[in-house]
Amino acid sequence: MAAVESLPPGTPSAMRNAFGTVLSALILVLIGVLAFSIRLFSVIKYESVIHEFDPYFNYRVTQFLSKNGIYEFWNWFDDRTWYPLGRVIGGTVYPGLTLTAGTIWWVLNSINIPLSVETVCVFTAPVFSAFASWATYLLTKEVKGSGAGLAAAALLAMVPSYISRSVAGSYDNEAVAIFALIFTFYLYIKTLNTGSLFYATLNAIAYFYMVCSWGGYTFIINLIPMHVLLCIVTGRYSPRLYIAYAPLVVLGTLLAALVPVVGFNAVLTSEHFASFLVFIIIHVVALVYYIKGILTPKMFKVAVTLVVSIGLVVCLIVVAVLVALVASSPTGGWSGRSLSLLDPTYASKYIPIIASVSEHQPPTWPSYFMDINVLAFLVPAGIIACFSPLSDASSFVVLYIVMSVYFSGVMVRLMLVLAPAACIMSGIALSQAFDVFTGSIKYQLSSKSKDNAEDNTSTKNAPKDDASSGKTDKGEEVSKERSSKKGKKKEREPAEKLSVKSKIVKKKALVLPLEASIVALLLLIMLGAFYVIHCVWAAAEAYSAPSIVLTSQSHDGLHVFDDFRESYAWLSHNTDVDDKVASWWDYGYQTTAMANRTVIVDNNTWNNTHIATVGTAMSSPEKAAWEIFNSLDVKYVLVVFGGVIGYPSDDINKFLWMVRIGGGEFPHIKEADYLRDGQYRIDSEATPTMLNCLMYKLCYYRFVETDGKGYDRVRRTEIGKKYFKLTHFEEVFTSHHWMVRIYKLKPQKNRIRGRVKKLKQKTSSGVSSKSVKKNPWM
Amino acid sequence: MTMAINKKLLSLVLLVSSLSSIASASFSDPDSDSDLTNELVSLRSNSESGVIHLDDHGISKFLISSPTPRPYSILVFFDATQLHSKTELRLQELRREFGLVSATFLANNNGSDLNKLFFCEIEFSRSQSSFQRFGVNALPHIRLVTASTAKLSDESGQMDQSDFARLAESMAEFVEQRTKLTVGPIQRPPFLSKAQISVIVAMIVIATPFVIKRILRGETLLHDHRLWLSGAIFIYFFSVAGTMHNIIRKMPMFLQDRNDPNKLVFFYQGSGMQLGAEGFAVGFLYTVVGLLLAFVTNVLVRVRNLNVQRLVMLVALVVSSWAVKQVVYLDNWKTGYGIHPYWPSSWQ
Repeated sequence: MAAVESLPPGTPSAMRNAFGTVLSALILVLIGVLAFSIRLFSVIKYESVIHEFDPYFNYRVTQFLSKNGIYEFWNWFDDRTWYPLGRVIGGTVYPGLTLTAGTIWWVLNSINIPLSVETVCVFTAPVFSAFASWATYLLTKEVKGSGAGLAAAALLAMVPSYISRSVAGSYDNEAVAIFALIFTFYLYIKTLNTGSLFYATLNAIAYFYMVCSWGGYTFIINLIPMHVLLCIVTGRYSPRLYIAYAPLVVLGTLLAALVPVVGFNAVLTSEHFASFLVFIIIHVVALVYYIKGILTPKMFKVAVTLVVSIGLVVCLIVVAVLVALVASSPTGGWSGRSLSLLDPTYASKYIPIIASVSEHQPPTWPSYFMDINVLAFLVPAGIIACFSPLSDASSFVVLYIVMSVYFSGVMVRLMLVLAPAACIMSGIALSQAFDVFTGSIKYQLSSKSKDNAEDNTSTKNAPKDDASSGKTDKGEEVSKERSSKKGKKKEREPAEKLSVKSKIVKKKALVLPLEASIVALLLLIMLGAFYVIHCVWAAAEAYSAPSIVLTSQSHDGLHVFDDFRESYAWLSHNTDVDDKVASWWDYGYQTTAMANRTVIVDNNTWNNTHIATVGTAMSSPEKAAWEIFNSLDVKYVLVVFGGVIGYPSDDINKFLWMVRIGGGEFPHIKEADYLRDGQYRIDSEATPTMLNCLMYKLCYYRFVETDGKGYDRVRRTEIGKKYFKLTHFEEVFTSHHWMVRIYKLKPQKNRIRGRVKKLKQKTSSGVSSKSVKKNPWM
Repeated sequence: MTMAINKKLLSLVLLVSSLSSIASASFSDPDSDSDLTNELVSLRSNSESGVIHLDDHGISKFLISSPTPRPYSILVFFDATQLHSKTELRLQELRREFGLVSATFLANNNGSDLNKLFFCEIEFSRSQSSFQRFGVNALPHIRLVTASTAKLSDESGQMDQSDFARLAESMAEFVEQRTKLTVGPIQRPPFLSKAQISVIVAMIVIATPFVIKRILRGETLLHDHRLWLSGAIFIYFFSVAGTMHNIIRKMPMFLQDRNDPNKLVFFYQGSGMQLGAEGFAVGFLYTVVGLLLAFVTNVLVRVRNLNVQRLVMLVALVVSSWAVKQVVYLDNWKTGYGIHPYWPSSWQ
């Protein structure tokens, strides 16, 4: 636009330019409103509550932060979870989200807007989605001009994949992290285009914010080095590249090491090594270019052999050190999740706790249609548009989409990282297509009118100018990259204008037939309309359920199942404040946040042995389970049961994972014992081990009283064992729809009698005491 | 699948005639026992990874005529060369894994335990009568004949499907469970042997200067934009087709219809799973629209002839809308979602 700005004000094109700026600002505001409001379905359809599991933990941490201040938060040792171990919260969470929401709450309160912490938490994600779509605008603008930027921002504002993680109430790390991710990429591209150290510093700070927010920052610290390497290898090295990369690595790594949960991992784990390796390479390359600049070509040839050999030696030494470091750690320095990205079959083989999570499964093709919808069709066109012409910035977004689409193929969860890339690519494709089609229509309409009135030159000029405006932008973008200094650019301007003129003359021919363009335009608009319909539907129906309150629509109206909050409230009102509650880890965060009771395991699955212990207890017969729980001071056991109302993600359906995880640590639990001919069943064909395990008993105790037959509506069978009594547990609470059942451990029996009984049992059954460890705590 | 194999093998085997009852001597003779063990040991030392190849003769010698309890157990792998072409049976893969278990057992045991378990295989075309004796009419089949097993047709030693689902690891678990012997962690041969690795490293070291020289000159394949472009598009196609899902879950390209074996099922209903051909078909549909759009906006605009432009655009538009329609239809069919717009209530 520099070429246009230099025109005196008041000319038509300056007016058009100003009008365009105001219009894009207005559109951006509307996009922000759209991004915010499309995420409010959950509040309208349900209520303003925190969703799901992890957000409850984040909410609890934010509450603590707002009550006790940042220093207390930093040193917080939480004894309400992972009993008896506890957890150092300050050192093990990514504090970005909590600090962000805490700051927002503090600012609002200090300007006398008294919102509750919960309200702030609920609306953090929608607000940051608006920020994220603005960041997308900036990023795409750097790559392909503001038209593509606006299209990409509008697409991102309602992409279902991102909505799924950022509806109001889903107060999780990804809510702010996606914004941080896009913004970091924007600043990287901005630095790359301008070569300004100011942006490079901002980039490092944005990276710091990303590290604070989400473990996914490793994606950035691997993608950017890859791009740098790609630029070097394809001969695109420039000082701007150096300025974009070197400060990021040095400052970024130093800042990342400040975050307690990352700490020295920032220099010690393999995820970060790629950046250091590329850091060395870029220095070697910079040196080569420098020497090339000061030497004659002949001297350079001599020097290059010298420098290359020295560089090689240095590289080899560093590689050897890295290999030695990697080899010295058991997993090769890679965390399990990252490893399962490189070797997709890794997790399913070795780490059941990662494989068990549904968001770590590989997606099928409908997932792509659900999560990025019609963008899946447009992305290839965007990739091709980025190659014509290929610039540093556009090669970066191509690399971004390629890496993220591959990773999303391994883990459905990473679809979230793919979504911004897909939006950028589709935005570029859409904007290019609109450019071409509307350009052809305008050109042909104007050429028709030209035939009618040949003397009117102004009408002829305007459309031509417009049709090429997309091209001029791009040409300018390219020139921006080539020369970072403004002075140089001004010298160039006249030449550039000339080239633009010649382009216009050439462009006359680059048009499509009128009627075909109109049809294509209509079809594209229909495609966009379908996207909007899909996104609104997905936001309203698929992704807005808080999963803490369930609803079902039946012929006699809406049913609300509020059993979870009912039972957490029961716990907090009817149990002692220091009682320990055992449940499967999914419900750990909710129990601590809503019932304020100590739990044994929670959703932060850092201690596999502890989880395996609970899994073992759930899969053991009553007595053994009682012993395990008693040794952990557990007073209450909570199970989630969906058999009455047909809630499929209940504990019986998760049970096989408890067995697997338990069996992984305590080998006397064998998955085969719970399966009849490889099939998991709970009806009369079920194995005796299954029918006698604690989970079965706690779920199906008195179940037959509900309908007289014991028909499980999730498994769609009658249960195998209907009438039984509990010996070591007593039922204390069952929620309205039987979704949550809470049992109390019966007090220990008289010791002598117990011992006699034990002896008797031993002699009568004749089972020799096995040396296998039954209870890990005894 | 096993049904079909059943039939096939049944027709091969014909009817299993009444099993020859084996009268075995009820006393055990320590001398002949140790003779047999020694013979097995020598056979084992001559065979690859310690899997002894037995025929009818060997079976009768080591399993039928030897008195129970024998001093050893035998794990038998039933193989049939003619069925190797049926990849869904995974016979060759299982046989390799069986060899791995055997080699691991040999490596981790020494002393008395080593001679308590022998790994053997019998091949169908050469030992049909042994297949009959064991009552095996479906493959894959692995059977443990313990020291006390008197009748070969006793199927309690059979390894379940689930026991070789996780290949060598689960086979080893089965063996450990039944024989109370330890196999130990499976030692898989490394992907590349040490010699290969050193050769590769040497080649890389030698090649590096040349590669760097070419990079500096800027004339490698890497400078070809078309290569990068097609690579990017291919990876995109590869991923949206759900190929990683197919690899990780080892999905077949298509299934046979259960009701009608001649019909093939290419599309699987239900969103949690997909078949290989299905993924590629939809991946193609996903990609083709974008490619056509790019073709129209980048290449077609340069064409001078208006009628060619019209024709190509017509084709592109028809193909694109067909592809989008197909994907929407398939998605609704597969997932069962009813995606619908929300109109103001006064409009209805």
